[in-house]
Amino acid sequence: MRTLLRFFQKYSNMLLFLLLEIIAITIMTQGSSYQRSKLIGLNRQVTGYIYSKVDGAREYFSLKEVNERLAEENLDLRNRLDLILSQLDSATVVSEIKGEHRYYFVQSRIVHNSIYKQYNYLTLNKGKKQGVFRDMGVISDQGLVGIILESSANFATVIPVINRDFRLSAKIKSNNYAGILQWDGLSPQFAILTEIPFHVELAEGDTILTSGFSSIFPEGIEMGRIESFSLEKGNFYDIRVELFTDFQRLYHVNVIRNYRQEEQLNLENQNR
Amino acid sequence: MYIIARNIFRFAVVILFQVLVMDNLMINGYMIPYIYLLFILLMPFETPRWIQLLSGFALGLTMDLFTGTAGMHTAATVLAAFVRPYLLDLLAPRDGYEPETFPRIHYYGFLWFLKYTLLIVLIHHLALFYLEVFQLKVFLSTLFRVILSSILSTSTIVLSQYFVFRK
Repeated sequence: MRTLLRFFQKYSNMLLFLLLEIIAITIMTQGSSYQRSKLIGLNRQVTGYIYSKVDGAREYFSLKEVNERLAEENLDLRNRLDLILSQLDSATVVSEIKGEHRYYFVQSRIVHNSIYKQYNYLTLNKGKKQGVFRDMGVISDQGLVGIILESSANFATVIPVINRDFRLSAKIKSNNYAGILQWDGLSPQFAILTEIPFHVELAEGDTILTSGFSSIFPEGIEMGRIESFSLEKGNFYDIRVELFTDFQRLYHVNVIRNYRQEEQLNLENQNR
Repeated sequence: MYIIARNIFRFAVVILFQVLVMDNLMINGYMIPYIYLLFILLMPFETPRWIQLLSGFALGLTMDLFTGTAGMHTAATVLAAFVRPYLLDLLAPRDGYEPETFPRIHYYGFLWFLKYTLLIVLIHHLALFYLEVFQLKVFLSTLFRVILSSILSTSTIVLSQYFVFRK
């Protein structure tokens, strides 16, 4: 008994060290992505406020650049509107568009982001009060950004393309083959498109779009272009996709609200 | 009493500076200076080891909460706090550390502080970055990130000694 006590006395620091490390590793490995999202949700409510204050200053310094990009987008939209108006000659089409909105966009600003980690997250300054909920899509004027993971009253956490937990169905514009877009954790400029079978003909520079198979994004949102591809293992390509969204200087984003998401999910669940 | 209050204050300053300033400095998308280790580095020599370990735990856990990473900073910082006494022994001057002094440039010189910081930063970063990727497939690219980030963290910490934490 005495030797046991002396053992504990002698190695008490070592034991404390092991205990603390075991706690830390348990937190790390037990944390599924769901628990991690809960932890982040909690942390965002506390830190979101501080971040949104600091962000005011940061935004001020990037006003010029943001302005230029908005002007560009404006021009682009005006051109497209013109094109659409010239094509709209039958009155029935107009009433159909007016009758039912399928998608609605919520303008939002990023108040905190990370890009250099393996599990990156963004924080937006809109939450449940402004109609931002779990599983809504997020895009910017450059392209796809990510999916809402969790929202509190005034803030929301986004799981961006550059997070190792991210998965989204994506297709190649030229031939409509769909695969899964995910991130390999290496560079914030590139993602990987998998599950495209070997017989598909690919070309560098082809655009990658959202497939519209999930209820989160409408079909045809641009994500990136094929940078290179290889057929290293098995029957599927590893396609490196250069992302259009520049996560390092992303400030304004739009959250997509799909009015028919619930209906679609209900139907899909019934058939399961 | 004074020393406890000063350390609690330093804890808050270091965390806030890390989260609000350093985490927004993204250099090349690869590197980020982890200056919050200063809190571990500057603890007095005679701090009981269990206090060092628990402080490391609290520091890492706070960082994890702020950055939304589960347990990674905690594990790496506890490790850094654990190896610190051994490193101090290793780097001790011939007649040991004098009483009433602190592990700072002011007392032990630039070269000593650089070695001390670099070793602790390297151990911390190795643990942190490999726990983050959690796989050996990307061993080399992670090692590259560890080395670059270590250089950056060390220089930031050493520089901070000349500007902020002078006394």
